[in-house]
Amino acid sequence: MKQIVVHQEKCTACRECEVSCSFSHEGAFVPTLSRIRVADFYEEQFYQPMVCVHCADAPCAAVCPTVAIQRQADGQVRVIDDRCIGCKMCLLACPFGVMGFSPEKGVAQNCDLCNGDPQCVQFCTPGALEFADVVAASAPARQKAAAALGLPQA
Amino acid sequence: MPTKYVLIGNSAASLAAVDGIRKFDKQGEITIINRETGPAYSRVALPYYVAGEMTLSDLLIRQQPDYQKIGVSLVEKENVKAINASAKQVELESGRKVSYDKLLIGTGSETVVPPIQGLAQVSHHYLWTLDDAIGMKKATEKAKTAVVIGGGFIGMLAAEALRKLKIKLTIVEMAPILLPQLLDEGAGNLFLKAVRDEGVTVRTGSLVSAVAQKNGGIEVSLKSGDTFTVDMAVVATGVQPHVAFLQNSGITLNKGVLVNEYLQTNHPDIYAAGDVAETKDFLSDERSIYAIWPTAIDQGRAAGANMAGIKQAYPGSLGMNVVELFNVTLAQLGRFREGPRDTVKMLSPKEDESSYRKVVVDKNGTMVGAVYVGDENGVAEMGVIHSAIKRREKWQGFKDGRPPKFSYGAVMHNVPQY
Repeated sequence: MKQIVVHQEKCTACRECEVSCSFSHEGAFVPTLSRIRVADFYEEQFYQPMVCVHCADAPCAAVCPTVAIQRQADGQVRVIDDRCIGCKMCLLACPFGVMGFSPEKGVAQNCDLCNGDPQCVQFCTPGALEFADVVAASAPARQKAAAALGLPQA
Repeated sequence: MPTKYVLIGNSAASLAAVDGIRKFDKQGEITIINRETGPAYSRVALPYYVAGEMTLSDLLIRQQPDYQKIGVSLVEKENVKAINASAKQVELESGRKVSYDKLLIGTGSETVVPPIQGLAQVSHHYLWTLDDAIGMKKATEKAKTAVVIGGGFIGMLAAEALRKLKIKLTIVEMAPILLPQLLDEGAGNLFLKAVRDEGVTVRTGSLVSAVAQKNGGIEVSLKSGDTFTVDMAVVATGVQPHVAFLQNSGITLNKGVLVNEYLQTNHPDIYAAGDVAETKDFLSDERSIYAIWPTAIDQGRAAGANMAGIKQAYPGSLGMNVVELFNVTLAQLGRFREGPRDTVKMLSPKEDESSYRKVVVDKNGTMVGAVYVGDENGVAEMGVIHSAIKRREKWQGFKDGRPPKFSYGAVMHNVPQY
């Protein structure tokens, strides 16, 4: 499944992703309404873009008391607005803190992959975001980690 | 021969158990015994129905064909009379007997009837079942004023629904704050102020001693001697595990059905999950019942897997709650009231009076609980703390909603897999 792949080491916390996301979804440049957020640790110079990874066994979907969070045919985990009562149990269940909430609509919101053309990826100048198959895109990182552990290479 | 699974109850625990079973056993025959009628509805959504924000069909979390699709047969409007563990049979009140290979008790909880003088003679409402909600909604059509007896989770959800319908409210709560099972003193006082600012009369530290029908209204007498009259009474003084039918079954009971870490009762083929089950606690060696939706799901899934023959230990229950009431968002995790050997980390700056963010750390430096009051934006941070508590992570400070150097990898390694 193609999704937003984060290359943390390239992120500069410029927040172009946050404004492009909020503008394309909400029509306003409001980072707090963005579905992708950059956690910044300026003193450590460590910036981590955080966005829904559409977990294989998604805790948000499991916990939703109205079955408002459903996996789509293409694999993405989607909030069905009409079914959502805004209880926020999914926000409390998400280990990454990437389930958001729209106070205006009163419903939970996560990354919807912009119908296959994610705007955050389009506008990410440093190239920290990529729209790709996560298994393929993370292969080099996994091989590096395996090598560090002294495991045989594929 | 396919395995015969029988599940008593048709809500969160049983439905999650179906998922747990079907993950490992596609052939087994599954029967759900339901004392209500119709496909499963969401108990959590009932207050939204009362407030007129959802219709009856919106409440359904399964449709009739969903059961057939995954090979589940439904026995409706049937109460279980007894369980015969030696014959491996469930006896229904109609006289029918249902045989099982593996049985799940997922009967949830039922409302506690408080010892209030005259209660039985006065029309009053609970908010626990679909029928309760339908009755309550009907009563709101004529009511201009109401009393909510009990300022706990359900009482406050009922109060919020009535407030949305512009009904003038009085809430009576025994504890000094509202939502005592969710908030500590600091958060409780902040919330109490928010509720009073909405024009609601709140009588904390108060008990209702009697109710009586009077001049078309209901006269409420408090233990202090005060009285007032309202059009409608809602009773929400807690719930208790629905175990009465198990008294002579030989199944070991305490407050609820006692189960081991595989959600098994003292009879190896009988399991329990959800509000009815008394399980191990995630944070202590004690047993606990939180009676919340998420623990019912976790227990149901694990019970289902174990019933299908896949050993899966349940890590224990962790309290978690989140709710938006009176325009304030509240959330709670684990042990949020610090013990004598715990330390407290406040995440909100001192001068900030609109939010309250507290993390409790135990003597070893491990995060064990948190409480939050504020707007909806702070709940995502509580999600991160939640997963950190589940991984028994040490406190390393918290910034921008995350511990330092927070990464996907570290979390993903340890996300529980079902």
